[in-house]
Amino acid sequence: MMFLPFLVLAAGLLTVFYGRRRWALGCWAAGLLLLIVLFRVHATSVLNLGF
Amino acid sequence: MTQGLSLRLNAIGLLAIVAVLAFALGDQLLKKELPCPLCILQRVGFVLAGFGLALNLRFSPRPSHYALTLLGALFGGAVSIRQILLHIVPGSGAYGDAFLELHFYTWALIVFVLILLGTACMLLFDRQFDEGAHGAGPLTGLALLVFVLFVVLALGNGLSTFLECGVGLCPDNPIDYEFLKPLPRL
Repeated sequence: MMFLPFLVLAAGLLTVFYGRRRWALGCWAAGLLLLIVLFRVHATSVLNLGF
Repeated sequence: MTQGLSLRLNAIGLLAIVAVLAFALGDQLLKKELPCPLCILQRVGFVLAGFGLALNLRFSPRPSHYALTLLGALFGGAVSIRQILLHIVPGSGAYGDAFLELHFYTWALIVFVLILLGTACMLLFDRQFDEGAHGAGPLTGLALLVFVLFVVLALGNGLSTFLECGVGLCPDNPIDYEFLKPLPRL
């Protein structure tokens, strides 16, 4: 599942190459959304910080 | 700043991101060190940031494209900060070997901050936007070369992540490529 952002963004870059700007922006937004979701899934442990 | 100069600087900026992604992937393959989930997400942050520069190269510079670069660097930097905080307390260990006395996630944060600074500086020059889509069109020369390398590295990182983690989530401390393990004997 963690390969998905790369796949979506690579597909988006191909749409950039072929001049499809709207598709590219959509792929970028999907890539960012996937990054946020995967970050939320992985950032679960409490930080061991004391002030 | 003319649009031509802006495009050249965008190509150089994208080349720098390509170099970072290539270094990370090269280190992974040569030293056989597997990237952790947060490391992989930082690489995604670099691809998101570079995407805005790639849009500039193909469709001419626009503030919205620079915004994508800023957002990509901001979220990538947030992942780096999370990983730095995981290991900031003495005795809490670290992930991977250090490079020039800093770990990769610390270098990642430094590069993300540099991307933020560089992009903000580029936004100071309005004349690059006045010429409209004059520079838009099929990619040629250095821009094409850097763009192709960027796509190859995005796909390469995707492939290595697929081999490492498969279709599920990556383990926090990966020790082996999920898809390169020998099959169990029947």
